[in-house]
Amino acid sequence: MMNILLAFVTGLTTGGLSCLAVQGGLLASSLTGQIEKDLQQSSTQSRQRSRKNQPANSKPQLAKPILVFLLAKLIAYTILGLFLGLAGRVLQLSPYMRAVLLIGIGIFMLGSALRMLNVHPMFRYFAFEPPAALRRWLRRKAGSSAESPLLTPALLGALTVLIPCGVTQVMMAAALATGDPLQSATLMFAFTLGTSPLFFAVAYFTTQIGARLERYFLRFVAVVVLILAIVTIDSGIALAGSPVSLTRWFNQQLIGAQQPGLVDFQPLEDGNSSAQVISIRVQNYGYEPALIRAEADVPTRLRLISKDVYSCSLAFTVPSLGIQELLRPTGITEIEIPPQPEGTRLVFSCSMGMYGGVILFEDV
Amino acid sequence: MRQKITLQIQGMECPNCAMKLESIEDRLQGIFRAEASYHKAILKVEFEDEVISEDIIRTEISRLGYQAV
Repeated sequence: MMNILLAFVTGLTTGGLSCLAVQGGLLASSLTGQIEKDLQQSSTQSRQRSRKNQPANSKPQLAKPILVFLLAKLIAYTILGLFLGLAGRVLQLSPYMRAVLLIGIGIFMLGSALRMLNVHPMFRYFAFEPPAALRRWLRRKAGSSAESPLLTPALLGALTVLIPCGVTQVMMAAALATGDPLQSATLMFAFTLGTSPLFFAVAYFTTQIGARLERYFLRFVAVVVLILAIVTIDSGIALAGSPVSLTRWFNQQLIGAQQPGLVDFQPLEDGNSSAQVISIRVQNYGYEPALIRAEADVPTRLRLISKDVYSCSLAFTVPSLGIQELLRPTGITEIEIPPQPEGTRLVFSCSMGMYGGVILFEDV
Repeated sequence: MRQKITLQIQGMECPNCAMKLESIEDRLQGIFRAEASYHKAILKVEFEDEVISEDIIRTEISRLGYQAV
């Protein structure tokens, strides 16, 4: 639920701006058919009115084609979400694969941001350029729409799926990572729905999303994408278990004054020895404690306690051990960890690498 | 006679600009084919020089908000 809300808010803010910069031109072209049709009609009507002495109304009726464009886009992205979820399920991404995916997407976003800021011509290659034949076809479709003005916005709205913006690509990666078609489709639906109000407002009130507006948005979006790129790459690095990452640094700042984790000993089921039990409270914004000192060379049991948690911290991973566990929003989940040698730093995090912590195994 | 020119374009900010530049194919008479590349910042134009001149093509490019250099 939290993720869906987050996706919607992301769409409403940065997603809307980013998509508008990338897809605004397509929306503008899709409206030309309606504008031409309205102009034709108004000139015919004005000729008729001039005979009847009635005032002319030359305002294009753009609300309907914009809504059709946005609806088609919403449907297309929801279907895309469904397929991404299915792909995620088939691929069964391991934490490391997800880390690589995140780092890759982060680099792509970084390149896109530098491209938008015109840092160097080489960054142009970070933009997906549709083949010339597809561009020609799109242009012809946009141009030959005077007869059926609603078909073009519908078609072009659906085709925006081919030119996803940077923020959309991040959302697509998150959808892929869910590994669940329904959840993934809902995520994409919420995000695309979130992007819609800004699209509608800008398209409706400016009619012409021309170069001037695109450039103004592009600068702002570039900076937002740049920040998101750094966060994404860092999440990937954190998820890969790297001891150096911004997330770790922030965590360490936060946990500097924190007491090490609660560790107690409980008998194992075979009754011969005992396991140390590490209790971790799973929260919406992370794990507590995030720094845990534990005894080396003894069996360890992680007790993950969640209560009304609806964030990605429920997708608990220990990358180096290949452990992935989807926790219940409220409940206790226990995970067995084999004895770890002294000096081991066992990094754990959520599946997106946003929240995490570390267990230090020491000789007591 | 059929001519083919390749122009370096300034002011392309995204792949959409390529599509916009290629629209000269529909706007101007005498152009057989216009193919732009955002990656390379170029526009290739094939035209009939008895119908249209390179200058007119350059003027149309400026009118669209770009510069052919």
